[in-house]
Amino acid sequence: MKPVWKRLYDWVDERVELGGLVEFLGKKYVPVHRHSIWYYFGGVSLFLFIIQVTTGILLLLYYKSGEELAFESVQFITSKVQFGWLIRSVHSWAANLFILAAFIHMFSVYFTRAYRKPREITWITGMLMFFLGLFFGFSGYLLPWNELAFFATKVGTDIAGAIPIIGKPVMIFLRGGEDVTGATLSRMFGFHIAILPGIFSVCLGIHLLLVQRQGMSEPEESGKDMKTMPFFPNFLLRDLLLWLLVMNVLAILAVIFPWELGHKADAFASAPAGIKPEWYFLFMFQMLKYIPAKILSIDGEVLGILVFSAAGLLWTLVPFWDRETKRGTRGRFLTYVGIAAVVCIISLTIVGWLS
Amino acid sequence: MAVVRHRFLHFVLWVIVTSVSSLASLALAQDQCRTCHEGLGDTPSALFKKDIHAEMGLSCADCHGGNPKTEDMEEAMNKAAGYIGVPKGDGISEVCAKCHSSASIMVKKFNSVLPRNQAELLSASVHGKLSTTGREAIVPCTKCHGAHGIVTKTNPASPVNALNLPKTCAKCHSAAGYMRTYNPALPIDQLDKYRTSVHGKRNASGDIKAAECANCHGSHGILSAKDVRSSVYPTNIPATCAACHSNAEYMRGYGIPSDQLEKFTKSVHGISLLEKKDLGAPACNDCHGNHGATPPGVESISKVCGTCHALNADLFSKSPHKKAFDQRKLPECESCHGHHDILVATDELLGVSANAVCSWCHGKKPESKAYLAAKRMREAIDSLGNSERAATMLVQEAERMGTEIGEAKFKLREVRQARLESRTMVHSFDDEQLQEVVEKGFKSAAAISDGARLAMEDYHFRRRGLGVATLIITVLAVSLYIYIRRLERKQAKS
Repeated sequence: MKPVWKRLYDWVDERVELGGLVEFLGKKYVPVHRHSIWYYFGGVSLFLFIIQVTTGILLLLYYKSGEELAFESVQFITSKVQFGWLIRSVHSWAANLFILAAFIHMFSVYFTRAYRKPREITWITGMLMFFLGLFFGFSGYLLPWNELAFFATKVGTDIAGAIPIIGKPVMIFLRGGEDVTGATLSRMFGFHIAILPGIFSVCLGIHLLLVQRQGMSEPEESGKDMKTMPFFPNFLLRDLLLWLLVMNVLAILAVIFPWELGHKADAFASAPAGIKPEWYFLFMFQMLKYIPAKILSIDGEVLGILVFSAAGLLWTLVPFWDRETKRGTRGRFLTYVGIAAVVCIISLTIVGWLS
Repeated sequence: MAVVRHRFLHFVLWVIVTSVSSLASLALAQDQCRTCHEGLGDTPSALFKKDIHAEMGLSCADCHGGNPKTEDMEEAMNKAAGYIGVPKGDGISEVCAKCHSSASIMVKKFNSVLPRNQAELLSASVHGKLSTTGREAIVPCTKCHGAHGIVTKTNPASPVNALNLPKTCAKCHSAAGYMRTYNPALPIDQLDKYRTSVHGKRNASGDIKAAECANCHGSHGILSAKDVRSSVYPTNIPATCAACHSNAEYMRGYGIPSDQLEKFTKSVHGISLLEKKDLGAPACNDCHGNHGATPPGVESISKVCGTCHALNADLFSKSPHKKAFDQRKLPECESCHGHHDILVATDELLGVSANAVCSWCHGKKPESKAYLAAKRMREAIDSLGNSERAATMLVQEAERMGTEIGEAKFKLREVRQARLESRTMVHSFDDEQLQEVVEKGFKSAAAISDGARLAMEDYHFRRRGLGVATLIITVLAVSLYIYIRRLERKQAKS
């Protein structure tokens, strides 16, 4: 007599031919080397994204969009709904940890040159997901319609409005009008729960499919005798172990430091002193402060935004212009650029946080 | 003999000629304008005889221009010679200002101590605004001072004399048709009201020290009461009134104290008005009236508090105290709260302690109904205050723990509201009515305290829950780790 799970597997296999997939997974190996640790951050990002989707759907059961309802509904979730406070706190903390994990994953891929041929599309979809993640954070931040979110959105969309030519239409598109109003809230809600998840899912599907299809990237210096471990079950179980640890950290953060709701947004109130964007935008915000008001008759803020946009584009397209890696030589230039970017981001974030 | 007679005739003729010519030259040395106009018997020249300007040696030509030395009318009133005739529009005030704004004329020539900025003040004042004709200012100098019979303001005949000024101002300000064209919202019964006031009555009886229009509003530089620089702007009114009322020397003989401003400044109303600049707080005129004896619609000053504190006044008028106060002719609010020195009303005023105002009348009979009622009312208010404090502390503690307590915090307002209502309800002096309001506050305070306690219990539940969840996850993680180790050892062996 076969066990129940075996019989269930056979039943499904008979209909959808799972055998091929299981065989594929059984033959899939993950390289083992001194940088293997970085492989896990993709999985951590995925785990946190799953948490986001799950908690986000639960929040949607009670959240009401609208100037007059949003704040009150979040207040209701955190004070009246059973475990509502936990779901909201986990959603907020997981969002931040997701961005952090995505940052680490992106830089690890960059430093190990894992974006090189044939993984250019994997890198591009990853970068797209990273930018979408930032926009997820920006749009979700406004949804509780509290004071800080209101003014942070105002500042954020103001910065977008400073881009030459397309800035103003972009700002009006993001705000749903000239100012941050209930229309902006509806718009951000739409982005956050429909548009962004839709695009993100497509990118994630391609990204994961390519990772499975092409396997993990091996380091440039690896030889033929590189150690490996089976993806299934070894790597997957290690992934699961890390997920459990992340879940533990998440639970501690969510309970010990519940995400505050603050005061309801008031368009007529003055902006709170020392208002800052979320930590992942802080380095850009801080950098814009250091740029002089005018550089060669160009507005400093505009120049800063253009430089950031150009840097983001170059970073995204790195697989196509990194000639050294293409040639098979290990160049130092990109490593230095990466180190400079990491140092710059960390130091400006710390300075911005403390100031 | 003929030669002698001939010489004598020559002498007589010479005497006649020189006498006539001397008389003629004497006549020409006088103001020819006045000579002719007085001869014609017109009013301006008749009035001018008593005019201060005539006394100071000014001629008609000093205002009207022309040549006063010639008896030839055409020559005297020749425009080419500077004759301007009757000044019109702003020309009137300009003519006055020619001397009155000039230090060299006023001080050096006439040794005058009159201020020389009158024209400047007038033009910046509400009267200096453009009139409905659009060509000149509303009020020229002559409108108040007259033209040809101007006398010093101490002269009882002067229209700007203290006793005449109310009427002078009322010429325009009581003219409905005229005032409508400039400020339809401005009442036109100020003079009538003024005459009902102590100031107006004293003024009518000839007391020049009693305040008239200019004492409060100023004279040349009158500004709208809405103008922050105006002497009758709410925050400036206490100082304006105090200019006389705080001057003990000036007020001597009137039998009223001169420390009102000092008291008012320290009072709850004074602090609100003068320190916090709260224009809703009462200034002197809000209780004592602007022009009349009391504010409009107020029967007597003892009832004035009710115009703002309407609920308290209403409750008082239905209370048993009303009759008792009326019988003893006691002022209503003032008896307990004072007048100029009203301090913030604390709960201390209520009850039977030494500081409580109830004790003044009811403190000597501890068995009396009123004594017991006052005691119970104070206990009820104190008890509600304690409940509010306890609920607030619980909410603060729950908030410090990081629990979501926004709703309970918001509900604290209900308790505060009940406490405020109870303080108002005290004026009914009805124990049962007060108890109803207090009970409402107790209920809210109890609900808030329960909510805060639940939130704190929830906080502890969360911590315990986290402990259990962390333990389970850790056990799972450790088990998984051991499983992986075993699996990999098994794989390595095989």
